[in-house]
Amino acid sequence: MRADPTATVDSRVVYIISQLVPVKPEQILAEHRLREDLGMDSVSSMELLSMLAEELDLDVGVEDIADVHTVGATIALAKTFLAKKGA
Amino acid sequence: MKPLVLGAAGFLGINLVDALVAAGIAPRCGRRTRTNVLALRQRKVPMVQADLDSPEQLAEACSGVDVLFHLAGHYPRLSLDLAGALELGLRQLENVLDAAALAGVKRVVYVSSTATVAPRASGGASTEADLFLAPPTFGTYHALKWQMEARALREDRLEVIVACPAACLGPWDLRVGTSALLVATARGLPVPHPDGIVSWVDARDVALALVRLGLHAAPPRRVILSAESPRLQPLLGDLARRYGAAPPSLPLTAMEAVAFCDEEETRAARSGGRPALARELADLIIHGVELDASLARSSLDLQFRPLANTLDAFDEWARRVRILPSLNLQEAQS
Repeated sequence: MRADPTATVDSRVVYIISQLVPVKPEQILAEHRLREDLGMDSVSSMELLSMLAEELDLDVGVEDIADVHTVGATIALAKTFLAKKGA
Repeated sequence: MKPLVLGAAGFLGINLVDALVAAGIAPRCGRRTRTNVLALRQRKVPMVQADLDSPEQLAEACSGVDVLFHLAGHYPRLSLDLAGALELGLRQLENVLDAAALAGVKRVVYVSSTATVAPRASGGASTEADLFLAPPTFGTYHALKWQMEARALREDRLEVIVACPAACLGPWDLRVGTSALLVATARGLPVPHPDGIVSWVDARDVALALVRLGLHAAPPRRVILSAESPRLQPLLGDLARRYGAAPPSLPLTAMEAVAFCDEEETRAARSGGRPALARELADLIIHGVELDASLARSSLDLQFRPLANTLDAFDEWARRVRILPSLNLQEAQS
């Protein structure tokens, strides 16, 4: 199931994360760490960014995601690349 | 050539896509719904849904294709369930071969493993002629790869070429699979390991070999792709020196290594995560044999890269994606 395209970036990111971990969207917070708090590993973290890139049509590279460790950083990355796309 | 690459988002797949594009060939890239396609998106290559459990998706993906590169053969995460691994691996392979045959694909280049190469009875390096006569009984990975390769070679509806690459090293091992011991050594995290012969090959050379197997008018039916077959312990010592890391620990005996892996796999099955040493890696080391890749050199006009070249490329890429810390190599060389 895809995220609601009319929703905010924040909620779309949270929705995608909720597809990958056994945590409800309303329980996912910006400060949550992808690995330590949400139980993601390196593979599912990359899967998350890949799904995000497809969902929002972003040109995110593998090297761009190396420092993304929290939900908030994921949202920030999405917003940065959306801004680049719109520029 | 109108190729379809199954497993295009994986380590070898990305290298193959690059090699095809460099040869002026536009690949169609098979993918599953949930897979990391960032590297493929960067390359702007066409992607198609091709879940190996979906005959419908495979049929659609194979439409109009003349060469299918199958790099997505089942690789079990753990070695604890032989029957399950065999059932899944053979079923998916059957789906791929059925879809290819029905779609009129001319050639399947199937990527197997050197796990299917047996020791040479007369001693010396093993060649393509050296096959285990029956599935190896010492490990799930070896048994699975043998059974899958045997099925691929029995195919009579279309041409199947089998490539047997050694442990691949080089850029784009995003899951840190065969690079695991290398990364651990470079990071100064000694991993318990057995000793034995480890054959390795640069993933970029494998990719080039696959392209040539796809294009070749009369390719060899089975080809070993291996640059060198050194012993692991001195190799780890060389790697430790390269990265300025502590020397490797003494090797475990084969029995100790297997027991360690099985314990680690049981732990990983219970609580998630990865075993510190994968059982298939230990089996490959313990049962490793020296390989003779002269057929690939002669028939595919391949020159395998030396280890230093492979490591330089791996380091550059691994530092960029933070798999390796950026200063290790510079510190070691200064």
